[in-house]
Amino acid sequence: MSPTTQAASRDTDAPLLELTDVATHFRTPRGLVRAVDGVSFTLERGKSLGIVGESGSGKTILSRSIMGLLPTHGTVRSGSIRYAGREIGNLGRKEMRSVWGKEMAMIFQDPMTSLNPLMKIGDQIAEPLRIHLKMNKVDAWATARKLLQDVRIPEPDRRLHQYPHELSGGMRQRVMIAISMACGPTALFADEPTTALDVTVQAQILDLLAEQRRERNMSVVLVTHDLGVVAGHTDEIAVMYGGKLVEKASTRRLFAAMKMPYTEALLASIPKMSDASHTRLAVIPGRPPDLVNPTQGCRFAARCPYAQDRCRAEEPPLTSTADDPDHSYACWYPVGSPEYHETRARLASTTNTVEAA
Amino acid sequence: MSDTTSTGPRRTLRQRLHLPRLGVLFGTVWLGGLTILTLLANHVPAAVPFIRYYDTKVKVNGKVKKYGFGPGLDAWFGTGKSAEDIFARCIYGAKLTLLIGIGATIIGLVVGAVIGVLSGYFRGWTDRIAGITTDSLMSIPPLLLSLVLVLRLDDLKEQYSWMGWISRPWQLSLTLGLVSVAPFARIVRAQTMVLREREFVTAARSLGASRSRIIMRELMPNLVPAMVTVAFTGLGILIAAEAGLAFLGMGVEQPHTWGKMIDIARDDIEKAWWATAFPCLMLFLTVLSFNLLGDELARRFDIREAAV
Repeated sequence: MSPTTQAASRDTDAPLLELTDVATHFRTPRGLVRAVDGVSFTLERGKSLGIVGESGSGKTILSRSIMGLLPTHGTVRSGSIRYAGREIGNLGRKEMRSVWGKEMAMIFQDPMTSLNPLMKIGDQIAEPLRIHLKMNKVDAWATARKLLQDVRIPEPDRRLHQYPHELSGGMRQRVMIAISMACGPTALFADEPTTALDVTVQAQILDLLAEQRRERNMSVVLVTHDLGVVAGHTDEIAVMYGGKLVEKASTRRLFAAMKMPYTEALLASIPKMSDASHTRLAVIPGRPPDLVNPTQGCRFAARCPYAQDRCRAEEPPLTSTADDPDHSYACWYPVGSPEYHETRARLASTTNTVEAA
Repeated sequence: MSDTTSTGPRRTLRQRLHLPRLGVLFGTVWLGGLTILTLLANHVPAAVPFIRYYDTKVKVNGKVKKYGFGPGLDAWFGTGKSAEDIFARCIYGAKLTLLIGIGATIIGLVVGAVIGVLSGYFRGWTDRIAGITTDSLMSIPPLLLSLVLVLRLDDLKEQYSWMGWISRPWQLSLTLGLVSVAPFARIVRAQTMVLREREFVTAARSLGASRSRIIMRELMPNLVPAMVTVAFTGLGILIAAEAGLAFLGMGVEQPHTWGKMIDIARDDIEKAWWATAFPCLMLFLTVLSFNLLGDELARRFDIREAAV
């Protein structure tokens, strides 16, 4: 393993990340956009969490809120973000600088734009080492070389002297991972790390992240719109919709017994190998909710095939299931409830009659 | 590199031979040649025997004659009011003309870039104050502003001994530099605002880079192409502006810049058109060259032309 500092956060017993009622709103000419609206969860060290949701569900804003990377103008933040027992939600830029890189780091969606086009790969990896760990140039470059090896980049010596445009997309994302791990953070946020890459490279990058997580005992937060991406690479999954957490469970449990119709719809919209070719893809009808004027009741109600009057009137709280306290969901008539089956049967019969006619 | 690989539209002869565009070729040759000639003429006159000395009078049958020769073999661009060789004067004058333009561009670009980067990066109040400053600068007609400034600097020079170094060329550079601050600042600000939203800047922030580091290491190097491009276009404009000021009597006494030459000879344009026309032509071709090169750079670096 490369020489990384032991961040201070590793000495406490508190969970690595503890979010209580985190909300991030933006002031816009249209009104207050409630991009993230009351999200709470905890993440233990060394674990990985997948945050899943469609575009505009607030998953990216949530991860940037935790990192404190949002613009200050027009942003209203509330709630508490505790990192290893220490409140970081209200820290200013100066104080956050000691957290960034050393404690928490981030990988971005597009490796084409997240590297400085005019700096050598080696310099880009060495820079955080020199700033945060006060290494001299020789040591920093040696460490950079080690990091490139860790992220399985062949010929690290040559790569160190190259510029980003000389590398492929997958290679650049590996470099990004190397940069973000340079100072040994305990939490790594990966914001759609594989969306811009093709499928074979995707799997490699995800495997690399998982491997590095185990090796370095990091926590990884994987933000994605693709349930397939998180399926094999996370311990827990949190599903977001309209700025809220709507379901959270361990990965195994979520896929075995999902409660939220939204999660079900999200899973159904992934094409399956077993389907006959030219099978129409399942879509979630309607549009993502308006975050300026949220509707009363459940935010998914307008698009939910199982919605009842109660869903449109009252907002379901996030509750735990009876048999698994770690599995929570926000739905009045979850998947598996009698009402759910009733609606499902009714929907099935109407489609059948339509087809018969 | 071969014709066999290109399956797209037919390539022109120029593309096949990998020649630069005509405009680029012309601009480079013109500016390069002019620079070499003027430096040689000013500093190593022996190397360019075909150029007369600055003060050499071209005599007609042994007598000094006003506008003695038209353009021809005796004096390529003709002779001037006091029988001086216009061609030689054009070459000697190029040095100062270019130097004033370059000086003004550097001053304008450095000040403009600092203002532009800071206001584009920090936005908010910094941007507002910088915006008000540059807008007020732009709202004054540049010609008027520079006329007043040159005269004011004249006075200041008389008044304070420590400002004695501000000779006329310096006055012109400072003045034109100040006039060009606002347009330069605008372009740099716009580019900065584009760059600061790019992911690699956020990535640098997420690794704990300080503001100064982000500005110096992430933003500045990426701004260089834009700045070089506007510098070229700006140079052309500023050289023309210097000529304009010289034409209005704010020129340098010795050696004459092109603008000053035009100013001196313009009254006699009916008698001796060449004494005005050739400096004008030099000016025209030089400004054109800078513009052509600026356009090419903008194409290469993919920078949209903002108002300069």
